[in-house]
Amino acid sequence: MDDKAVGLIRRLGGAEISAVLVFVISFAIPLLTKNVMIYSVLNQIMVGVVATFSVWIMLRMNLLSFATPAFMALGGYTVAIAGQYDISDAVVLTLASFAVPALVAIPLGALVLRLRGTYFVLVTFVLAQIMQLVLFVTPGLTGGSNGISGVPPVNLFGMDMMTNQQVLLFACGLALLATLITAALTRYFRRHFAAIEENDVLAESLGLVVWRYKALGFVISAGVAGLAGFSLVNMLLTAHPSSFDSIISVDFIAYSIIGGRVSILGPIVGTSLMVYATNLFGTHGQYAQGLYGVLILIVVLAARGGIVGSVTALLRRRRAA
Amino acid sequence: MHQFLEAAIIGVGLGAQYALLALGFTLIFGILGVVNFAHGGFYMLGGYVAYTCVAGLGLAYPLAVVVAMLATAALGWLFELLLIEPLIDDHLATLMLSLGLYLIISTVVLAIFGPISMEFAFPVTGSFHAGSVYLPRENLIVLAVCLVAIACLWLVLFRTDLGRALRALADDRAVGMAQGLRPRLLFPLAFALATGLAGLTGALVTPILSLAPGVGEPVLATSFLTVILGGLGSLGGAALAAFIVGLVEAYTSVYFGGSIGALVLFVMVLLLLVFRPTGLLGRDVRGA
Repeated sequence: MDDKAVGLIRRLGGAEISAVLVFVISFAIPLLTKNVMIYSVLNQIMVGVVATFSVWIMLRMNLLSFATPAFMALGGYTVAIAGQYDISDAVVLTLASFAVPALVAIPLGALVLRLRGTYFVLVTFVLAQIMQLVLFVTPGLTGGSNGISGVPPVNLFGMDMMTNQQVLLFACGLALLATLITAALTRYFRRHFAAIEENDVLAESLGLVVWRYKALGFVISAGVAGLAGFSLVNMLLTAHPSSFDSIISVDFIAYSIIGGRVSILGPIVGTSLMVYATNLFGTHGQYAQGLYGVLILIVVLAARGGIVGSVTALLRRRRAA
Repeated sequence: MHQFLEAAIIGVGLGAQYALLALGFTLIFGILGVVNFAHGGFYMLGGYVAYTCVAGLGLAYPLAVVVAMLATAALGWLFELLLIEPLIDDHLATLMLSLGLYLIISTVVLAIFGPISMEFAFPVTGSFHAGSVYLPRENLIVLAVCLVAIACLWLVLFRTDLGRALRALADDRAVGMAQGLRPRLLFPLAFALATGLAGLTGALVTPILSLAPGVGEPVLATSFLTVILGGLGSLGGAALAAFIVGLVEAYTSVYFGGSIGALVLFVMVLLLLVFRPTGLLGRDVRGA
């Protein structure tokens, strides 16, 4: 490879380029097969990866966010409510599902992120619980416990995305968009985020306005979660409170920790493997969280970089030897 | 008027339960610097251990409550000693460990007892009435036990050498260790004390409310609201905030219906973070 190409890869980041390539290639799968099982797993992975990115962005700054289901609900319900007014344009809905949660995150982030990280964890946990209550006590807007069913299929460039194949292709598109946003954010601000992750008191003393970067990350993370909500509602054609139960935040946290928090490939690998493993449980899917629990303990105690971090360390050691 | 009084007494009862949970949570955070996500899990486990003792082993309910408290304390002690202790200064790692433990506890409970809620009834029924005010006996008993437990905790923390040592470590670990305090001995004890309180609360309260996998989560959310309101790490603040939370929940549910209370509390907490981020009785919270 010539020096120019190496320089470009270095600037854009090898992991980031690989992540984008993975999702570009993923478009081929729905075109190559019509296997229902593969479609189901792939749909879950596409939604899961986007939601996990939203956790991972905050983990880059040592912050654990439980708010993903709340922002997913905001994005998903925005799309469902827009559908009731016959708005089905894919571009408009994508923008709206990103913007609404991001706007809600601005005041919340500015408020909570000036305080110690612990407050962020506690407040996001409570937020996910509160969002369920909000959905239940606003039946006029959100359909309450019934949710909103019969969401119309999205319309992309004049074409209704109705078939299973089209829905999956659209989910792949949203996942690619979320990857591009996440990669751009974490790559562009990598030094800022790394300084905050390493020692945010020191970063602050060196002149970095830490809470602003944390708030920026939080706003983007909320928008990305909104895209996951859109993807989920578009897959089910229903927005229901149970889809956004607060307990699913733990799944996305588990995916990003198990996959590895050091690289953007972590959430992709973690989500893909864990969603696949959960499907292996079959009708006993409720036990999957026990597996996540054990794996989290193993990662924290023995393999801090998660799967991607451990594999990278192993390859580096081999190359050195 | 009697509705107002009944709500007050229900609120104080709820407050006492929340106080036991929030005191445990804030004790662990204040002394060890650990955010214990498994706290709701220990509450749930307390309920299931008590249920097993009563329904499976035929023990008397008061004895079952004691067993539940000791069992959850023992598990907390082991968890701190074996898993938390080596990583005690890494806040994110300890948080994730406790989250992992919570997932394991929930799954084990689910595997053994299944997803449906257990029929676990409080052994004392009936109600006590003074004038036109009716109060369930079970709530009064739970309130009394909780108040006694809070008093005992206060005695331990403020009137014994162990309590003084724990508070010294919470104030300044380095100075405490220089004075000869041994965190390796005291941290697991503090953790056990807190998880034992969570287990005690679970054993007392789940027969009245409900016992099913997942009961720990809303409890954890309420504990979080309570400790933020009271000021993270402040014992007095946690106790005071717990009673405020209990009263707000009781009055909103009596006058506005069920679920609005949590919403009101969340807004209260956000407003508090704007105007007084240290909480009611907390210390400095700015910075990292």
